Amino acid sequence: MLSFILKRIAQSILVLLVVGLVAFAMFRFVGDPVDTMLGQERTVQDIERLREVLGLNKPFFLQYWDFLVRAVQGDFGISYRQGRPVAEIIIERLPATLELALVSGLIALGMGIVLGIFTAIRRDGFWANFIMSASLIGVSLPTFLIGVLLIYAFGVGLEVRIPFTDITFNTGGMPIFGRGDTRHIFGWVGGWNSGLATWDGLQSIVLPAITLGLYQMTLIMRLVRAEMLEVLRADYIRFARARGLSDRAINFRHALKNTMVPVITVTGLQLGSIIAFAIITETVFQWPGVGLLFINAIQFVDIPVMAAYLMLISVMFVGINLIVDLLYVAIDPRLRVDGKTT
Amino acid sequence: MNRLLTASVLALATALPAQAETFRWSATTDPQTMDPHAVSSAPVLGFLNNVYEGLVRRGRDMAIEPALAESWEPLPDGAGWRFTLRQGVTFHDGAAFNADDVLFSYERASSEDSDVASWFAVVSGVEVVDEYTVDILTTSPQPIFPDSIANWMMMDSDWAAANGAERPARDTENFATRNVNGTAAFMLQSRQPDLETVLVPFDGWWGEVEHNVTEAIFTPIQNSATAVAALLAGDVDLIDPVPVQDADRVNASDGVHVLSGIEARVIMLGYGHDHETLLSGEDNIFADVRVRQAVGHAINVPAILQAIMGGNAEEASQLVSPAMRGFSEANAARPAYDQDLARSLIAEAGAEGATFNLSCPNDRYLNDEAVCQAVVGMLAQVGLNAQLETMPVSNYWPELRADNYDMYLLGWSPGTFDAEHPLRFLVHTNGERLGTWNFGGYSNPRIDEMLPLIQSEIDPDARQAMLDEAAAIVQQDAVYNTMYVQPLLWGVADGIELTQRPDNFFILRWVRMGLPVE
Repeated sequence: MLSFILKRIAQSILVLLVVGLVAFAMFRFVGDPVDTMLGQERTVQDIERLREVLGLNKPFFLQYWDFLVRAVQGDFGISYRQGRPVAEIIIERLPATLELALVSGLIALGMGIVLGIFTAIRRDGFWANFIMSASLIGVSLPTFLIGVLLIYAFGVGLEVRIPFTDITFNTGGMPIFGRGDTRHIFGWVGGWNSGLATWDGLQSIVLPAITLGLYQMTLIMRLVRAEMLEVLRADYIRFARARGLSDRAINFRHALKNTMVPVITVTGLQLGSIIAFAIITETVFQWPGVGLLFINAIQFVDIPVMAAYLMLISVMFVGINLIVDLLYVAIDPRLRVDGKTT
Repeated sequence: MNRLLTASVLALATALPAQAETFRWSATTDPQTMDPHAVSSAPVLGFLNNVYEGLVRRGRDMAIEPALAESWEPLPDGAGWRFTLRQGVTFHDGAAFNADDVLFSYERASSEDSDVASWFAVVSGVEVVDEYTVDILTTSPQPIFPDSIANWMMMDSDWAAANGAERPARDTENFATRNVNGTAAFMLQSRQPDLETVLVPFDGWWGEVEHNVTEAIFTPIQNSATAVAALLAGDVDLIDPVPVQDADRVNASDGVHVLSGIEARVIMLGYGHDHETLLSGEDNIFADVRVRQAVGHAINVPAILQAIMGGNAEEASQLVSPAMRGFSEANAARPAYDQDLARSLIAEAGAEGATFNLSCPNDRYLNDEAVCQAVVGMLAQVGLNAQLETMPVSNYWPELRADNYDMYLLGWSPGTFDAEHPLRFLVHTNGERLGTWNFGGYSNPRIDEMLPLIQSEIDPDARQAMLDEAAAIVQQDAVYNTMYVQPLLWGVADGIELTQRPDNFFILRWVRMGLPVE
């Protein structure tokens, strides 16, 4: 067991090194930071001097090695655009992304389970079919379009007239960009700056969280529905019916419990993609998280920020996968012999 | 404008004490630093003009007017300029402004760490004559020197020394990166990079207050659709820019309108003059002036402006727009749009059916990619096959520097608002300091000979004569094919009076809010 864990950890580290190498190789195609850092009246010497200062004249592997050596010590360099330590900027921006991912994950999970159960139980009903069809639209619309549509519907607003009356009301009024008021929670100043602690901040998170969670919601909903239909066909459910248990007890006590196992696994794995997918949503809503930071970094060729962000995301994915693998091994003894099943 | 109403609003505004007028505005990029000498880019200098001041400043019509200097005069024999400073000016922290601060700001802005050091390339030294008189000595007569330093901002020497910010920090940060101590009408109240920057009026400002803003909040909004939505919803009072395709919709909406003007930026096509061959290995057709002239005749600029710019821009006949100093009236006409003439020129040069690359940025200028596509179509009509290659601007400049192009798109906004500026950077033979943006390697001895003369000519008529000659050379030799001056489009909430300057700087002290809506 211990050797298995050590092997998996070693593999994870190797994956991180390769991701870092690929990322670094790609930065050469993003452009040249000196052009974005120097003004129109720069001279040839200015360009050369800055390249020297930033270490851009060194061979590629040496640059990567320097990055690794510093990164291991927790030093991710200085942002070219802001002139501040990258670690400081990322710590400042991370709460926004994590809160957005958390809230949209909760929305996706909550709505997904409820709608999934509903469409499974009333599988032939009108509403269930309507929801299933609508969910197809949700899956096929690109994120930025959903975001823009929500902004126009609930941010800018439309004048809607209540039928048969002269009363009109405006559907708008939701915050369109940014996080609203934030407060430092846990007593950390400069630590966790939360938007969930204020009314304004709570309002601000609604539209972006729905935008980010919509796709995940339909995914969870379809998964729950499929699992639930599977379970409802099982023998023990028939026995339960034969014993004369109520529908409610069968659906929610017996069937739902067994439905949830794969759902929880998938949700855990999806958490990583929510954070990675947040880039688009953050751009649309000017949400000051690490995704928006990354987009800005690409436009400015801010190599230290790009490198740190990609490492952060890959650490997260590798970490989640590692934990899931180890949990499976802990649960299922058959997986312990070098991954072979008996 | 309803005068009576305005007067009563003014009376109300003055009668009601401390009526909070919060002004919110947004642009696509956040100024990356608050240090006036660290980054020479329009978003940074434009923003900092609201909190720092120079010896001179530009008015609503871009004319130079006194700021921290009350007057200036040339020293005898073209040795430089004497500036007489305004007395009784204080910085935001209450420190007095005097000649020592000018000397310090010169040393700081011309140091190796500064990004604006090139402004002082002609300065040999600064001498403090007395507390309110400063001599700036130049290596040769510099008639337009006062015009070139409107963005050279004054910093307090004691404040900088006390906070360890004697030199600008470019690739790190120091105290001046996020803190401001200027003399201008607004003070920096809070600064969160990339999120929000708050300015408040400075009570001790020396000038006459025209605005009625009690607080101003700047937020960058990157996505143009989001910015337009924020303007329509009333969350911001000004957005810069409004995308061309959204301009009509904004104008049609209640409570907002588009303010359009002409920027100082001229958009043009450039060529690899000194390339032996095209990228395809064929002979370089653009070495032949007739082909370059043909391109000028083949491009239907009015059609481009109508189709792509929504009719919001004007044609450009030369490297600067008519609003700039030194614009050549004698060369104010673009080559006529004439496809037959273009075809015959191409035939003479033996370049019919030539295939070549056209490189374009896709995120640098207004609708740059669409303009290039239009150019490709127009060249095809006269028998030239341009292969369009577009890329983000961060890849674009390295490609041009590496000579990986046959023909390219360029926009140029002269930092000094003078016709000498593009000659210095775009037309003079490429070298260490001069011709640094002359990617195509064009070289003309007459231009190289005239540039230093233009720079030091005191007599305006003689200077203009040389600028006219240079403009004629650029036009006839088709060094660049200038197409149009880029439009400026701001989205503004109704009831707000503000001024849009051709350099695209937003000047907060000209904002009046709460005016009656017509």
